[in-house]
Amino acid sequence: MQIVKFECKKALTSPIILFLLLLFTAYNILIVSNSSDFNKELHVANDVANSYGVEITDETLLKMEKDLQEELTHLNNITEEKAGQSFSSAGEFFSQLTYERQEKYSEDQLDSFYTIYLKEMYLDTAKHIDESYQKIDIKELGENNIQNYGLSGAASESLSKQYEKFGNRFDEMKRNMEHKRWFFAGKVYSMHSQLFKQLFLPIIFESIILIVLSTALITNYEFENKAHLVTYATKRGRRLMVDKLVASLAVSTILSVVLLAVALIVYFKVFDYTHLWHSSISSAFNWETNFPYVSWWEMSFLQYLVGAIALFYICMLLFSCSTFAIAVLLKNSYFTFFGFIAIFTILFMLQGFMPKSSNLIFVTGFNLTSLVLNPHQWFMASNGLLVFKYYEVITVLVAVVVITILFVFVMKRFNKQDIV
Amino acid sequence: MLVVNNVSKNYGDFTALKNINLEFGSGVYGLLAPNGAGKTTLIKMLVTLISPSKGEILYNGTDITSLDEEYREVLGFLPQQFGYYKHYSPKSYLMYLAALKGIEKKVAQEKITELLDKVALSDVANKKMRKFSGGMIQRVGIAQALLNDPKIVILDEPTAGLDPKERARFRQLLTELSRDRLIIISTHIVSDIESIANEMVMIKNQELLYKDSVENICNTLDGAVYETTITNDELASFRANHVLLSEKQEQSKMLVRFVHKGESKEDWTVKNPHLEDVFLYEYRDDLSLGV
Ligand SMILES: Nc1ncnc2c1ncn2[C@@H]1O[C@H](COP(=O)(O)OP(=O)(O)OP(=O)(O)O)[C@@H](O)[C@H]1O
Ligand SMILES: [Mg+2]
Repeated sequence: MQIVKFECKKALTSPIILFLLLLFTAYNILIVSNSSDFNKELHVANDVANSYGVEITDETLLKMEKDLQEELTHLNNITEEKAGQSFSSAGEFFSQLTYERQEKYSEDQLDSFYTIYLKEMYLDTAKHIDESYQKIDIKELGENNIQNYGLSGAASESLSKQYEKFGNRFDEMKRNMEHKRWFFAGKVYSMHSQLFKQLFLPIIFESIILIVLSTALITNYEFENKAHLVTYATKRGRRLMVDKLVASLAVSTILSVVLLAVALIVYFKVFDYTHLWHSSISSAFNWETNFPYVSWWEMSFLQYLVGAIALFYICMLLFSCSTFAIAVLLKNSYFTFFGFIAIFTILFMLQGFMPKSSNLIFVTGFNLTSLVLNPHQWFMASNGLLVFKYYEVITVLVAVVVITILFVFVMKRFNKQDIV
Repeated sequence: MLVVNNVSKNYGDFTALKNINLEFGSGVYGLLAPNGAGKTTLIKMLVTLISPSKGEILYNGTDITSLDEEYREVLGFLPQQFGYYKHYSPKSYLMYLAALKGIEKKVAQEKITELLDKVALSDVANKKMRKFSGGMIQRVGIAQALLNDPKIVILDEPTAGLDPKERARFRQLLTELSRDRLIIISTHIVSDIESIANEMVMIKNQELLYKDSVENICNTLDGAVYETTITNDELASFRANHVLLSEKQEQSKMLVRFVHKGESKEDWTVKNPHLEDVFLYEYRDDLSLGV
């Protein structure tokens, strides 16, 4: 325990690692604040979920429509008085609003009108959920994907099969009414990508950089300071490497948790999710591009977030473990760093080199790099070539097995190796 | 106590040591050989950093690799290149090494204060080692080797970089330590070891040459070490015919010390052989430059 503490200290007092941690944290805060220009509009989704419950039902929609009617009357009262006009919707009001006309109204009035307009928009989307979802044909989507990726033979068959399973899940999802939950309008705010791509992805990269640097530093510290002859001849001997592994994992935990925690705390301070934690991640509003996000399992936003954090953390530990193995083998921090980058890049490109008629194209997708590059698609059924229900679990297990084998090999070698 | 059994060590195709057999009891042993003879190689095997290509090393009858922690627990080692962390103080570095040696924090703190005092580094105990001189670093290394009160102390050229005063202090420290302990010191400086070692180990051509007391080793040249005076002009031809150990200018003449086996001449005086003489004689080919 004492030894592990000493080893951790080596990384945690390293100026370069502390500097990068500060730099990355500042950058993450910048990302959040840069995308916060619409955070004043986000209360609408929260308000709606608060007033009508997070589940969307026909009754609540009716009630909401009635309430909106009242609010529109209020709007018309004001517009009648100021401009002698009345409107059938807040949308109509804004479409005719010019700069000169705008001056007749106070800031507050315009704000409240705009809120009505947004609510109209949410209501309209909600009313058309069934209609929009009826248009979705998962089988066709699969065929399109096969065409887009140019798959043939066994690969095309496998993907078709996967889309069949996806189709079943999609039907189940609809039966469960998972899509009928209020959430931030995806087409307007893209909050899902905002959080799980724009913010998570940089954090993943930053975290990897810090973890690789600190793990390599801890592992090779004695060799690089020429103190290895002293340390490995002490009672602890070559078992010191085990302490170094524990220390690397501890430091990786500290660094990645600090990075992610600070970013998420700032994010949820800026963006209000108060009434939407228990909305569904497969909500019809969580629909940003041509297809809504549909998760393999019924998950609330909170569950998804917790799942993503857990997966992030597991991946970071695995990256630390693989760096450790490389470092024990190479005994040099620079080589370790570039060795890691090389392997990371090769895994990223691996899928592209596989024949498009073979199942290898899917098999090679089950690697940590591919997993970690698509955080917004974690647990999602609509994930390009990685449409496997247990994709995340299998990838992690594969990595665990590979790293364990590597460990056994590397440690056996190190224990017998001459230390010169 | 410590037995080296038929040990050879190869680095790839290169043989560094061949069929070494040694037995160490308690006492001070000097490992004396010129540069590149394999002293460090032997020592690294004795501290389990490298393993013999052939043969085994036993401590109280058991192989040291299988004894593992149990063996290294009683071991204190100072490598030839003592690596340290520049931005650590002697105290914090020794605290770290104490942890590696399995010494409790409290015990370690006391021990470190005591040892730093012994090697005269108390004043700089909390200063970063970045600015230390070579001799100061070497003394941190000596303190480090003694942290765990080792039964076996192995020091690879411990006096390198120490000034004469520090050498004297070091010899005294060793004499204090030598009771009930096995101390192995490698060096190629004869005077460092001559007075304190009970036995000398000498390696030549990758093999063991002598393992004996200083006296017995000196006796191998008994009656073969002479001194005489010659003129400067005679020096070249004299060197060609005899093994010269040393030469000293005396007025217009040369006082030479040399080894000769066989008939002696009248104006030669027989001298008592010193360890230095044996060293120079045995390694005359390795030390081809006239000393
Ligand atoms: N790791 C290694 N790989 C290959 N050859 C080596 C290695 N270490 C030492 N040698 C060679 O083995 C021989 C013995 O080296 P060693 O360091 O044991 O000598 P030494 O007696 O300690 O010398 P010095 O007095 O200079 O320290 C030398 O010829 C050296 O070049
Ligand atoms: Mg040496």
